[in-house]
Amino acid sequence: MSDFARQQADFQRGILAADDSVLAEILDSPKEKRETLFGVYRYAYGSRLIEALRNDHELLHAYLGDEMFDEMGHAYVKARPSENPNMRWFSQGLPDFLRSCAPYSDHPVLADLAALEKALNDAFDGRDGAVLTLADVAAFEPEIWKDLTFTAHPTAARLDLVTNAPAIWRALKADETPPDAAMLDEPTRILVWRQDNTPLFRELPPDEAMMWDEAARGVPFGVLCSMLATYDDPDNAAARGAGYLHGWVTGGCLSGVST
Amino acid sequence: MNVASRLPETSRKDGPRQSAKPPFLGFGLGLRHQHYDEILSGNPPIDWFEVISENYMVPGGQPLRTLDNIRARYPVVMHGVSLSIASTAPPNFEYLQALKDLAHRVEPKWVSDHLCWTGVHGKNLHDLLPIPYTQEALDHVVSRVQLVQDFLGRAIVLENVSTYVQFNNSEMTEWEFLSELSRRAGCWLLFDVNNVYVSAFNHGYDPLTFLSGIPADRVVQFHMAGHSHMGTHIIDTHDHPVCEDVWELYAAALKRFGRVSTMIERDDNIPPLDELIVEVNRTRAMAEQVLGPAAR
Repeated sequence: MSDFARQQADFQRGILAADDSVLAEILDSPKEKRETLFGVYRYAYGSRLIEALRNDHELLHAYLGDEMFDEMGHAYVKARPSENPNMRWFSQGLPDFLRSCAPYSDHPVLADLAALEKALNDAFDGRDGAVLTLADVAAFEPEIWKDLTFTAHPTAARLDLVTNAPAIWRALKADETPPDAAMLDEPTRILVWRQDNTPLFRELPPDEAMMWDEAARGVPFGVLCSMLATYDDPDNAAARGAGYLHGWVTGGCLSGVST
Repeated sequence: MNVASRLPETSRKDGPRQSAKPPFLGFGLGLRHQHYDEILSGNPPIDWFEVISENYMVPGGQPLRTLDNIRARYPVVMHGVSLSIASTAPPNFEYLQALKDLAHRVEPKWVSDHLCWTGVHGKNLHDLLPIPYTQEALDHVVSRVQLVQDFLGRAIVLENVSTYVQFNNSEMTEWEFLSELSRRAGCWLLFDVNNVYVSAFNHGYDPLTFLSGIPADRVVQFHMAGHSHMGTHIIDTHDHPVCEDVWELYAAALKRFGRVSTMIERDDNIPPLDELIVEVNRTRAMAEQVLGPAAR
């Protein structure tokens, strides 16, 4: 290893691991000791990354408050040092960290809230794509509708949450007192996507979530309706399927249709 | 990793890239999302914008759409914070490709970053970290700049950073290092007036010595920014208006470097656009005062 490479390794260890060996390689300034000056880099490292977490998880920050959020942030910074040159992606691992590391894993609402915010952030600057219109779908003859398959908009994502995080998200967004956190008997099925420039989410009933997941795998509309019939009210399954499809198209959740 | 195979065929034969000096753009501002709507609805009297490259190295959505709209109305310069040109870690070609793709979309007047490193061993500290001014470091950075310029197909512009520590094995001054780097690698220099002021205070030298040590023909851009004074040292926070001492140093920089594209850079505590336009107008007025009609 070259001297230059070794110095950089020492400097980085001084910041990440509070190893003071780098102090032997730097100078006091005319007015300040090297410990204080090197401390500027140490302090900036944590504070900059926690600021990035606050920006990406505004509502989790509001939910936890400054002190608890920053404590959590320091734990995340220590456990998952940034490996991407673009700070945009630093917070990507936060939901997984909160779901898997105590004491945060004892409060599943934190991971759910972080997952919802991450999904919305990802939709915000996700890949652009065409937006399917009702006219695009109506161009197909009714007799071949059963063969239609759909392509989700590139920003569309599904997630299942085990807590009432969506209700807490909405309250925090409206600057209202959030409800107490609660585990749900059944997961909430969420669809996230971007409409124009705005990331959105909504809860899906179980049969619509199933239909979305299968449609995203390329299952044709006729089969989707048959699958819906296994859930509830088989006689109206086709109408229900058409209704869900109408909602996806008008919401801007789909990019394409083909046979 | 086969570095040579990632470079254009011609660049491997040509050696260091020589390029025309970037044009004078006038008096600009760092683009921040807080001002998007006001800029697009009001077309404020700003000559050009500098954008943080990484903010737009994303798949799509509003940031890129907005940048496209602003680019259609104003000249744009790309300014990165993660090139890590002085890192001893292997070059990050994924990052370089994303930077090149963005430059292809934006067609900036130039692409700049900092003379610093941001991490080694797979980690990124997201800070502009200092280097020792040694011959070994210089040789390394020259070769990295040449590689990056060949990959991007353009000469890059490098900025002096604010530093808080100096290494005891430095063999030359920062200005000697920058001058030699620019000469050998063919890159241009972004002279951050505030950073010179900050580093000069922190390390106890005269900022005018730094200024007079930089070759006048290599400087293509000035940054003007604010900082936080801690008494015994200054931290480059970019969250305050430009202070009077830095304005004074700007006047000296104008006298030495002449007509150079200048911009106000505010990264935090972002004020209303009007407040920043006042500072932009002051850079213009000061340039006209120092240089006369040649400033335009």
